[in-house]
Amino acid sequence: MVLLTVIALLLGIAYGLSGIDITIINFIAEHTHYILYLLMFLVGISIGLHRGLIQKIKEYHVKIFIIPFGIIIGSLLGGIVCSFMTGISMNTSTAMASGLGWYSLSGVMISEFAGVSFGSITFLSSLMREIFSFISIPFIAKYFNFPTCIAPAGATSEDTTLPMLIRYTNEETVVLSVINGILCSAAVPILINLCYQIF
Amino acid sequence: MDILIIMGIGIFIGLKFFPDKYKKKNEKMQMVCTILIIFSMGVMLGRRENFLQEITSLGLTSFLYFFIPTLFSILIVYLLTRLFMKNKSKEKEG
Repeated sequence: MVLLTVIALLLGIAYGLSGIDITIINFIAEHTHYILYLLMFLVGISIGLHRGLIQKIKEYHVKIFIIPFGIIIGSLLGGIVCSFMTGISMNTSTAMASGLGWYSLSGVMISEFAGVSFGSITFLSSLMREIFSFISIPFIAKYFNFPTCIAPAGATSEDTTLPMLIRYTNEETVVLSVINGILCSAAVPILINLCYQIF
Repeated sequence: MDILIIMGIGIFIGLKFFPDKYKKKNEKMQMVCTILIIFSMGVMLGRRENFLQEITSLGLTSFLYFFIPTLFSILIVYLLTRLFMKNKSKEKEG
């Protein structure tokens, strides 16, 4: 998936740089918000299909929220620090840091709100977060603790980085990581919206 | 806000009406949408004037926006799990 998206991005850039005009591609590029609406609808269906979610949350009680809470607070604090370092406005900066590793959605949403440059930064930073997760999970499992392995993965802990979490942690952490991924994935669009409007 | 409403409708349909047998097709459709959106993002980027000059600064800023929030997330989750999940998940089972 990571490879496919990188190829899609590079092909898009190459097309844009080439100056070639193909009507259907131009039409798609100029109407991405409709594709985003469809994507959000399909993501909603995926979240709705996790029918055991409420039962699992009951089993873990409030502990289920510790990890996503820490990930969200840490990412927002990071966004605030980045705002001071880069001079990017606080609302854009915290919204960009709210991607939690979900590079496709966060990049697209920030592009809609703040422009393509900020969307690209969000896309690249989220992509780096996902790649870093693959590298850091074994290290964190060894030197910190298993639940902390979920932190770099953020919203991807239920899908792309899950195989690494299965390999290097235990069953309980895997369940926590799936639930964390669902909660963080549901939180990403809300956080981006709220940060962009509130800060 | 319209994005959240659309997602909410999706959650309701997923919870109440959507058949499990189409779960994989739904995921594939998500992938197609994602690829199309990212391709379009690339097209918009490539059309920008001075794009190639901008990419250097985008790379450095992207690194900052990856590294600092991720580091803070790791530190805060570590502290919270040390405080509230003390005897959990320290050893690999089996």
